[in-house]
Amino acid sequence: MKTNTRKLTTHLLSAFLVAAATFGLTKPANAQEILLTGPLAGAPAVRKLRLHRQGRFEISPAVTFTILDEYRRTIILGGKLGYNFTDWLELGVWGGYGKLIQSDTYLTDQIQAQNKIRIGRALQDPLDTERRLTAVNLGPQFDKQLGSIDWILAPQVSWIPLRGKLALFQSIYLDSDLYLFGGLAFVGLTERADCTDCGSDNHTPFPMHSRVAYAPTFGIGLSFYANEWSALGFEWRFLPMSWNTGGFDTAGGGKDGEFPDNKISSADQRFHFQQMLTISFNMNLPAKVRLSE
Amino acid sequence: MKKTGVGLLVATALWLVPNYGWAQKAKGKAAASASVSASADTSGDADASASGDATGTGDSTATGDASAGGESTPGGDATPGGEVPGGEGLEDICKIDPTACPNLDMDKEAARKFKEPLYAVQQIFALRVRRFELAPFWSFSLNDQFIEHPGPGLGFNYYISNVLFVGLNGEYFQPFNQDQSFNAQVRRAARVAVPLTEYQWMAGLQVGYVFAYGKFAALSDFIFQYDAYLVGGVGALSDRPIAVVDPDNRNFNWKVGVQGNAGVGLRVWFNRWLAVTAELRDYMFNDKLENLTISATDPKDPSHWYDSNSHFTNNVQAQVGVSIFIPFSFDYRLPK
Repeated sequence: MKTNTRKLTTHLLSAFLVAAATFGLTKPANAQEILLTGPLAGAPAVRKLRLHRQGRFEISPAVTFTILDEYRRTIILGGKLGYNFTDWLELGVWGGYGKLIQSDTYLTDQIQAQNKIRIGRALQDPLDTERRLTAVNLGPQFDKQLGSIDWILAPQVSWIPLRGKLALFQSIYLDSDLYLFGGLAFVGLTERADCTDCGSDNHTPFPMHSRVAYAPTFGIGLSFYANEWSALGFEWRFLPMSWNTGGFDTAGGGKDGEFPDNKISSADQRFHFQQMLTISFNMNLPAKVRLSE
Repeated sequence: MKKTGVGLLVATALWLVPNYGWAQKAKGKAAASASVSASADTSGDADASASGDATGTGDSTATGDASAGGESTPGGDATPGGEVPGGEGLEDICKIDPTACPNLDMDKEAARKFKEPLYAVQQIFALRVRRFELAPFWSFSLNDQFIEHPGPGLGFNYYISNVLFVGLNGEYFQPFNQDQSFNAQVRRAARVAVPLTEYQWMAGLQVGYVFAYGKFAALSDFIFQYDAYLVGGVGALSDRPIAVVDPDNRNFNWKVGVQGNAGVGLRVWFNRWLAVTAELRDYMFNDKLENLTISATDPKDPSHWYDSNSHFTNNVQAQVGVSIFIPFSFDYRLPK
């Protein structure tokens, strides 16, 4: 009993000391309020700041890569046009064309490989079970039924809260800024067309249909100014929207509409948190940069 | 033996007991002057101690920002007109020698053009050399649309120089792997199984290089510091396939393999020992996936469960966390 009491005391003491040590790690220093007087009184945080944006137009050719794609990747060629009312606010339009460069993912190749085998079997035996089960969802060429982003146009506002400079390898010094942007995107999409009698005949690809989707778009960007008129830009953009990426019948049936109904309809457009990375070459006009006070 | 342990803990606690530097709020010239003079006495600042002979209050004034207040004496207007307890003010000097009495028009001085020499990057905000970095983080997988691998992790680094560090990092995934509904939709619609892999843990050695540092002004008002670094390493990864093709018969065990990784990170400093970090890192390894075909003779035979080929896999992660630098304080070798 005595041993237990001593152990308990030791443990309590140890716990107390550890807590004291832990909370004692920080050393508050309460100093007096600084009453700044003299030449620095009221001075701005940054003097002679190069105003890379204020009162300037921005023309930025850009390449945008979609990421986390399920079936098809798209490289969007386009750019951004904008006008900076102040050094922290820009109004502009971002957009691009995506039909020129598209590539299929590994999953698309795998599905088409299986699909080809099944269609080969179905041509011999029209009652092939696997082919019958996939006839609504897979045409003869899977890559011809995939949804794709054809173009995007997005009026947007950029807010530039952070301005700074960067020392690269301790020898190259660049001005930089970080900004947030948001707007409304008009997205030109090609998807599998709606149908009610949707089974494939194993020869004809499924008909496709184009539409314009509306979606919010927002993200974060970085600019690295190489000189007075040009900069390198990086953006991470989000585009949440619903669309049918695979041309599949995934919903519309059942009690809650979450089961296939052997039809292609708007119910098969599933929500995707589309993400994109952009690299741009930013040109600012007029070419001469102004300085703050 | 137990007493020795307790004694060591007591010593540690005493050593870590905070030393408070309580300086009073500036309520007026006199108060400011007294505070400055008091700190000057112990900080040994020649300019400041000349303003009065007030006695210091011991060690407490030597630490914290109070001593920094001593630096404000030459530039400020607190001392010249102020009274120092137990000392002589500026008025006495003016009485003795009126020609030595400073006669400054402060409005004029304030309007004077100020040309302070500025360097591209002045004294680095937080030195890293010979400091340890403890970096807990949370990771999100960025390139796996089939199964997400979020999880907590911890990095522990030592800075050999201000830009070069070596260390360890580890991550725990097991309870956090998330099979996406997209997999079931593909299986149902296309009758194609996507082989899935879940991770258990990962650990490794790493080396990094801080290639960039700089500062941002937030809305031209508040300035904070940041740096960017490249990091890479080698280590081990424990993973296993999730049985998708034949879940009735297959039950995979965790297997440890080799992984290599490379990434880039950004660190934004809150103060000289605490920063928030964001890192993008690609963990690369050869993965053994589930066999898409089932053995007709013995589906329970584990030798048929794995695909015969290894698949090179990139697990790209975003890691968000904090960096705690130890020791918390440091000394600059050169003046500002």
